[in-house]
Amino acid sequence: MDLSVTLVHGLSLAAIYGLMAIGISLLWSSIGMINMAHGASFAVAGYAAWAASEAAKPLFLAAFGKTIAGTAAMAGLTLGTGALAGAMMGALIYLLAFLPIHDKPNFPVRSLIVTLALNLATVQVLLWWFGPRQKNLPKIFGTGKVEVLGISARYDQIGTIAATFLILGLVLLWLRVSRKGLEIRAMMQNPEGAVLSGISVRWTALPVTMLTGALAGLAAILLSQTIFVSPTSGAMPLIKGLTIALLGGLGSVPGAVLGAIIIGFLEAVIGAIPFLGQRYVLFGTFLFIIVVLILRPRGLGGLLDEARK
Amino acid sequence: MTEKRFYRIGSRPAEIMLPVRGDVPLARRRLPFTRRHLLKWRSRLNPKTLRQERWLADKKPLWWTIALVLLAVSAPFLSNSALTVASIFCIFTAINLLWTLIIGTAGIFSLATLAVVGIGAYASAALNVYLGLPWPLMFLAGGVAGLIVGGFLALPSTRLDGLYYALLTMGFAEICRVFVQQLKPLTPMNGSINNVGSFIPRDWFLQRPGLLLGFAGAFVLMLLALLTFRIVNSERLGMLLQTAREDEAFAEAVGIDYRRARLHVFLISSAGLGVIGAFYAQFYGSISPAVFSLDQLMLLFAMIVIGGLGRAEGAAIGTAIVVLIDKGLLDLGPLRILLVAAIMLAVTLLTHNGLAGARNQFRGWRQRRQSEARARRSEKGGEVMPEEAIEIEDKQAIYYRRFQKRLRDRLKALITPELIEEHRKRPLGQHSDALSRVLNHFRRGEVADKYAILRQSGQFHAYKIVAFSGVRGAPPRLVDDRVYTDINEAYHAVFLLRVNDLMES
Repeated sequence: MDLSVTLVHGLSLAAIYGLMAIGISLLWSSIGMINMAHGASFAVAGYAAWAASEAAKPLFLAAFGKTIAGTAAMAGLTLGTGALAGAMMGALIYLLAFLPIHDKPNFPVRSLIVTLALNLATVQVLLWWFGPRQKNLPKIFGTGKVEVLGISARYDQIGTIAATFLILGLVLLWLRVSRKGLEIRAMMQNPEGAVLSGISVRWTALPVTMLTGALAGLAAILLSQTIFVSPTSGAMPLIKGLTIALLGGLGSVPGAVLGAIIIGFLEAVIGAIPFLGQRYVLFGTFLFIIVVLILRPRGLGGLLDEARK
Repeated sequence: MTEKRFYRIGSRPAEIMLPVRGDVPLARRRLPFTRRHLLKWRSRLNPKTLRQERWLADKKPLWWTIALVLLAVSAPFLSNSALTVASIFCIFTAINLLWTLIIGTAGIFSLATLAVVGIGAYASAALNVYLGLPWPLMFLAGGVAGLIVGGFLALPSTRLDGLYYALLTMGFAEICRVFVQQLKPLTPMNGSINNVGSFIPRDWFLQRPGLLLGFAGAFVLMLLALLTFRIVNSERLGMLLQTAREDEAFAEAVGIDYRRARLHVFLISSAGLGVIGAFYAQFYGSISPAVFSLDQLMLLFAMIVIGGLGRAEGAAIGTAIVVLIDKGLLDLGPLRILLVAAIMLAVTLLTHNGLAGARNQFRGWRQRRQSEARARRSEKGGEVMPEEAIEIEDKQAIYYRRFQKRLRDRLKALITPELIEEHRKRPLGQHSDALSRVLNHFRRGEVADKYAILRQSGQFHAYKIVAFSGVRGAPPRLVDDRVYTDINEAYHAVFLLRVNDLMES
């Protein structure tokens, strides 16, 4: 077993799961909603990017030919479309699962159910519209391998890791410095206090849902470099993101990052061990999470007491 | 004399009232060995008709009986496919009832329901196929397997919060699926066990008599699940947990060990789910890993959500809707799931607690509207606040007070300096219409605090004004010390006092 391959593979998995988990965690801590339609945002973004790339392929081929510029333009287009479609899906979730019921009794459970129904409906609509056949996204990082410090990695793995770090850094920076980010962080720390200080729940929730949707969309484009786009492709990232968010302690961003790294490596290791293999990956992850949750009932996050319960 | 007519106001006239026979002693049957009655009869004296009347205060058992009898009676006339749908409905209703016990009564957000069913099914099927366990004992085996798994799952349930526990149980279902598929010696056929012995004879399988027998078994299973629900939810355990739901600290303070009660409910439900699993394996004659799949769980969740969490009728209604769409409208294809999702969405957005809670929600809304309308009405001229009006038993009193208020308003408008001058000139004798009305109102007043003129004893033409106490034996009180030497002057002074009172009221 080559350790370095496992390392890189684990890191790239961790990056994508981290994007999903942070979206779920952020949404829970700021507006108290478990978003089960995160997988739907993922799948919709994948399809939107596929449709856009199919439409633009001859155009780009004519304009740039098979050059670096063409690949870069394609990368920009797919990433942009994916993020946009994810954000639109986030807005839809906001309109259906947040706006009508956020001040009604039993909101957390009801929003969970609504998002679950949205997830079911979206998967069926995609299945109906595009059919069950899997779609292939263009390789935005190109194909090939590179050797860095004796560790060999594929382009898409490096691209995924780099892109994730960039995106997460930008998002965290935005949360740290912008006015809206301040409002969102206030909402995370104390929703009631935030409302009393004149922060509108509705106008804070919209950017949060759109942002987390866009994160899911970006995760979809990045993951689609290794797997195909299909109507049910959102289910596994959703479950992974949810488990990582819970493992890290719901509402804790550092916890989610830590959880993503642990789970990513765990998956890579289990998948690489010969007598276990891919079919035991989910088994092993769940077993690990169950053990962690029994030992630490509120996940890994140490910041949990400050976050929403 | 003709019978007095009553206007039909409110929902009471729609209630079916049975007469109570005065000449026969009241006999209420109890369920044997318990102190429970089957139906909740109540009786009271109707204050208007002065007749004793009796009504059924809780009509739910009636609706349940009608629905169950209709289902049982119509089953033999259904087509083969419809019969299968009915059987599946019965099985899933049984599962959902026990799940409702776990989620609603015990308040444990477990998603391992189907996993427990599957384990019960696999355990009993394996014992039957490999060890030759006869089919009646399979139910026992399934129940024991469910109990053991339930005990294992219950351990972390007190430590973990709702969502964390839900995730854990979801993971447990996934682990079960992988485990069963990998267990080659137990499940050679791609994870499934076939040719399971059954209460349906082998050569009747998928034939008309076999389907009928299968439905009968599923129906009995559902009845047993309903009985379990009733016994657990509305007897001792359910009562303890209801207290704990309202206030955990209070429940603990009065000595209710609610964690233990939750565990008991969880274990009972798990054992029941194991029995259902054994039935499931017998009903299909096989068991496959599909029972652990996430899709199936989501469908089950949709059922319980559409019906409403925590209520038996919710479990039944939700299951009926989803099973009818999913299994009854097979030619719709993938549109079925879309339909289920749409219903789920609509129900969750519009109702607070599923379809079973819709009636209560509607009633609450209607009550709010009615009380708003009442408040608007009473603002115009009421002496009675709406809240007070509910508490006054004799509704005549409300209308009397309202009438008096309006009368006083009319009389206040009549009082003018000219009227007072007219009374000063001639306190007795014929008066104008307005003055007569005012005086008549004064004369009809209540005795308490009514003014009177007291002649001072031993003095000639000396009067003082007193006010009656209104209580027999208690002397009148003196209103002021002024002595009037003319009786007409005293009359007028009383009149002025009363006018003053009227204007102030």
